Amino acid sequence: MVVDIAGFQVADWVALVPSLILGVTAMLLFIVDSIEPRPGTSSNTVLAGLSTLGALGAFLVAGYFLVLGVGQPRGTGAVDLFNGQLVVDGMSLFFVVIVGSVTALVTLASYDYLEGQEYQAEYYGLVIMAATGMSLMASANSLATIFVSLELSSLPSYALVAFLKKNRGSVEGGLKYLLVGALSSSVLVYGISLVYAASGSLQLNAVADALAGGSSVPVGILGVGIIMVLLGFAFKTASVPFHFWAPEAYEGAPAPVSAFLSSASKAAGFVVAFRVFLTAFPEVGGLAGGDPMVDWVTAVTVLAVVTMTVGNFAAATQEKVKRMLAYSSVGHAGYALIGLAALNAPDQGFVLGASMMHLLVYGFMNTGAFLFIALTEHWGIGRTFQDFNGLSTQAPLACAAMTVFLFSLAGLPIGGGFISKLYLLAATAQAGSWLLGAALIVNSALSLFYYSRVVKAMWIEDPSADLEVDSYPSSLYAAVVIAAFVTFALLPAFGLLSPSAFDAASVLFG
Amino acid sequence: MAGAFDFVPAIAALPLLAFVVSLFAGQYMPKRGAEAGILATAGSLVLSIWTALTVAGITGSATSYNENLYTWVAGVADGAVTLRLGVLVDPLTALMLVIVSLIALLVHVFSLGYMNDEGETGLPRYYAGLGLFTASMLAFVFSNNLLMAFMFFELVGLCSYLLIGFWFREDGPPSAAKKAFLVTRFGDYFFLIGVVGVFATFGTGLFAPITEGGTVVAESFPQMAEHALEDGESFFGYSAQTWITILGMLVLGGVVGKSAQFPLHTWLPDAMEGPTPVSALIHAATMVAAGVYLVARMYGFYLLSPTALAVIALIGGFTALFAATMGVVKQELKQVLAYSTISQYGYMMLALGSGGYVAAVFHLTTHAIFKALLFLGAGSVIIAMHHNENMWDMGGLKDRMPVTYWTFLSGSLALAGIVPFAGFWSKDEVLFEALIHGFGSTGTLGTMFLVAYAMGLLAVFFTGFYTFRMVYLTFHGDARTDVARDPEPVGWNVKGPLSVLGIGAATVGLINMKPIADLTGLHIDFLHKWLLGPEEGGWPALTSTGLHHYEELMHNVAGIDPAYPLGETTTLLVSALVSLSLALAGVLVARSLYNEPEPVEHTDKLGGAKTLLMHNYYQDEYQVWLAQGVTVPLARAADKFDQGVVDGVVNGISSVSLFTGSRFRRIQSGVVTNYAALMTLSLVLLLVVFVVLGGGV
Amino acid sequence: MSNPWIAIGALALVALAIPLSMMAVSSLLRPSVPEQGKRAVYESGEVPTGDTRIKFNIQYYMVALLFVVFDIETVLIFPWTVIYQDAVANVGLAEALVPMLAFIGILVIGLGWAWRNGAVKWVRSPRAQAQRVEQ
Repeated sequence: MVVDIAGFQVADWVALVPSLILGVTAMLLFIVDSIEPRPGTSSNTVLAGLSTLGALGAFLVAGYFLVLGVGQPRGTGAVDLFNGQLVVDGMSLFFVVIVGSVTALVTLASYDYLEGQEYQAEYYGLVIMAATGMSLMASANSLATIFVSLELSSLPSYALVAFLKKNRGSVEGGLKYLLVGALSSSVLVYGISLVYAASGSLQLNAVADALAGGSSVPVGILGVGIIMVLLGFAFKTASVPFHFWAPEAYEGAPAPVSAFLSSASKAAGFVVAFRVFLTAFPEVGGLAGGDPMVDWVTAVTVLAVVTMTVGNFAAATQEKVKRMLAYSSVGHAGYALIGLAALNAPDQGFVLGASMMHLLVYGFMNTGAFLFIALTEHWGIGRTFQDFNGLSTQAPLACAAMTVFLFSLAGLPIGGGFISKLYLLAATAQAGSWLLGAALIVNSALSLFYYSRVVKAMWIEDPSADLEVDSYPSSLYAAVVIAAFVTFALLPAFGLLSPSAFDAASVLFG
Repeated sequence: MAGAFDFVPAIAALPLLAFVVSLFAGQYMPKRGAEAGILATAGSLVLSIWTALTVAGITGSATSYNENLYTWVAGVADGAVTLRLGVLVDPLTALMLVIVSLIALLVHVFSLGYMNDEGETGLPRYYAGLGLFTASMLAFVFSNNLLMAFMFFELVGLCSYLLIGFWFREDGPPSAAKKAFLVTRFGDYFFLIGVVGVFATFGTGLFAPITEGGTVVAESFPQMAEHALEDGESFFGYSAQTWITILGMLVLGGVVGKSAQFPLHTWLPDAMEGPTPVSALIHAATMVAAGVYLVARMYGFYLLSPTALAVIALIGGFTALFAATMGVVKQELKQVLAYSTISQYGYMMLALGSGGYVAAVFHLTTHAIFKALLFLGAGSVIIAMHHNENMWDMGGLKDRMPVTYWTFLSGSLALAGIVPFAGFWSKDEVLFEALIHGFGSTGTLGTMFLVAYAMGLLAVFFTGFYTFRMVYLTFHGDARTDVARDPEPVGWNVKGPLSVLGIGAATVGLINMKPIADLTGLHIDFLHKWLLGPEEGGWPALTSTGLHHYEELMHNVAGIDPAYPLGETTTLLVSALVSLSLALAGVLVARSLYNEPEPVEHTDKLGGAKTLLMHNYYQDEYQVWLAQGVTVPLARAADKFDQGVVDGVVNGISSVSLFTGSRFRRIQSGVVTNYAALMTLSLVLLLVVFVVLGGGV
Repeated sequence: MSNPWIAIGALALVALAIPLSMMAVSSLLRPSVPEQGKRAVYESGEVPTGDTRIKFNIQYYMVALLFVVFDIETVLIFPWTVIYQDAVANVGLAEALVPMLAFIGILVIGLGWAWRNGAVKWVRSPRAQAQRVEQ
């Protein structure tokens, strides 16, 4: 099979290069760690550099492919690989961009964060392996590959959360993550098996074809399967009710890992959910017109509203900043679910595109916020809101960046989060789903309350006497500032990127 | 070619520039900013005269002008309200511009004597205030729409606050300033609602339609109201007639406040705490005139509502009489003048209400001249008396300050309405119009006019009395104090403006000697012709603010018609004679009581009435009671409501949020088996709801 | 016509009833003579030592994991070898061989890394060392 990329006739697997880059990087990391003179003495610089380069490479190639039109109607059209087990299209490349950029930021920041820690090579290896899994999730087009790639991203994540072996919170979070993850995976795989039972196929397009038949479909089995699959993805995206792992895992994990999981992993979970539900189950959900067999759109609406509400309300009462961010991450999962919930709108591509853009912006602002937490952990200042008092006197640049992140997360027009939330609101308005719109507004308003608590602490409160910032780790700083810059730049540049999201989304709706 | 109309905005811009210059550079100037003000107002005067000449058709072909200059809020949708700033020039505007800039110039010059020579401090602030005051009033005068008028109306109010409270270190002025501001503001609330109402109803606030090449491109709201009335439309569930009345009354709220009409007149006597030149400016040309001018400006709208007209006439007549009686017992020079102002503006309102448009404008003009004169004369006396304003401490100043005396006498004769001084002609016309329209109009409206006329007529007597009581006490008899025996001399900058105005007060009435015109058949009623415009075409057709149009409306809509119970000429003469003889009677009574070397207070003879009058009919008292007994408890209740209910709801929401948050938080128990249980339970729940109940099985 | 499930249900009841009744009867008839040999845990004739619930050394799991890795490998390699000839004939040597080499290569890298980092080296824990010395 041959595809035409920018005038070159190349083998079709070339479209998968961004994911391959990540995979090869992971292998290289293991090789590097295997050939050093004594076990466990690999150079942090080499490892971090290699990981960052790999992630950056995946990001750049995916972005370049997007520009070239690979996988998109104006270029090659969707590239089917391995009999439709994997597919490279606009949406997969878009999410590889998100995963790649977040991974690059995280590995860059980890260079300083891991200073003096054991098992650095394992850390980077796991991060890149997970990133590989996430990028494959973006391309997975069959329930089997979806499950495998999902596990490829999950298993390293469990280990990463528990990376700080001597830290009780880290180990506890990792264990809970593992247990909840095991339960969720079993729910997911059970759901997959039921869908297979109902449709006789694992490949998503084949599933859709089988289910289009109508009367002969065993709706009961299919319904149970779909709901279970939905909840399996809810685990990956940290949506209610499978969000329980998130607060503890994010809080306990090393902050760069929290950033990685809450941004990239969530985005990957969403792309899988988008693809499965829009490729395999559109007719089942009644999107093609007619009564839905299984009303998963309403189920997602319920999950979206509950997720937003639980995430934001719980975040409002936290005392620790990191845990607050963890809950806010749950809340944002609810916002992103609007992309699947508000599909009654006439322009479905717009709805899904808005959700994708929100995930892109969220990738930067949320990663940045967690990396700022990494910075504070590096400095050894406490975790509560009070511990941040007067931090701006010591680190004005980082605090300014954090302010950009938080206000953008809240949806103020200081970063791209404003426009993406606006688009989501417009999407709910288009769909006439006042419940979603009202939930979005109410929760955003509430979120401003707890985000501004951090800002208030940093800028307005007086610093406590012993607040002392002694070092300014350059790579962590660089990662935070880059994230802040991109978050801010996405405000004016939003219009540059949104067309590719809308195009990529529209394709799924035929 | 750039005609006069292109420079109209500069008429207001010049004083505004003076305001900036005085404010920032005033302290570096030898006269502390007065130079800028004098130059600017002189420039404004020149431009105003040029504008007036253009309107008269002498220096150009176009005799009116109405353009939008600047759009500051553009309505996007079709039919959306667009807010603009623009200029409307017609004869009324031109006349008012000349009056305002003339008075402003004279007040600036006079201030040199009253403020600079007395060694006051803070003069840049003073001249800046005067500049802004003048600029606001001028811009108000040439506003072409209601909202712009409102903005400058408010600015005028602000400036009066700043200037009345100029001596802010003393006790009286700040409180007087506050009172002036708050009382006029009370009226302005209604005005603002009226403005919003007009915009909401008609979508425009234009006073006059804008035309381009003979076709109307933007209609004015009085015209639209007229059409609505003809077509029998209804607004917001009210008939057009009722709704126009409501809007008219709302706007009238602002007028009553600004023009110090009953019951919102109480601020004006207190405003005497400000520097006397400011009082002259406020009373003669700017602030107080703004209210009456506004009614004249949108007269085409008020004529559509007979009810509003009757209310205006009654308020006017009552205020005229009411204020005149209070002026009778006042002891301080400026207080007398203050009540006379209220009373005289009552006459103008009476004229407007009873269909005497020309009479009202005429009286506005003459009053501006002679009231400015009287205030400046009073200022001169006050300089001489070392800022003692009590008339019982004066006396015999006639010989010691002749210029002041003779000019003041001219102004007093004008105020009292003695032929042939200005006030006679205008006041006579006001009363005459009220009389004939009272007889001519049918039903209640005519009766109302006659009642108002009777009050106005009675006030003539009191006016004559208190005016000459003031003159005799101040200038005649023997000097009663040492200061009065040896008053401080005043300079040219006081005498100059006085002379100009003194001559004006004697002669300005000549512009519209209607009785003479009617008797002799000579066409010397210039003002009437000025406001009438040509019979066909010309500016009245363009702007629909001409007298022809108003007379039509009066006849057709309001049902106001003249009638002459004794024949036209006889009625005219009788009316003039009655008012003149009443005025003379007032003068003679004053003369018999107070023209003696050692006058004594005769007010005690009034008994209980004296107390009543001295306390201004307890107007202040009842308003204070209203404020303290009604408003404060109301405000408390509102505060309770705000604190209890509104804040309570807000606080409640936030505490409910936080409470819910803490409940949600509690779900996260930390025990992983609970999580698994909850996850499984919710899975089951979803399955039940969406698969079993959803009809899946 | 009666339901065939009734017969099955009856059979199940009988199947339960026979052993239960036999156990009940024997427990009523037999004499009860408890002794230690009867109560001891049966451990293939050996004398039992220690508790049944003991901790295995974590290194067993490492080996087990590595075993699983290669076990799954064979699951993939085995069918591949079976169809290898046909595959080469159909899609050519490269298409048939390279993916398997890549697959094995990845596993080799993993194994090499694990080996290098001491996953298969049996480490004696200090505590176990100490216990041995005491004995």
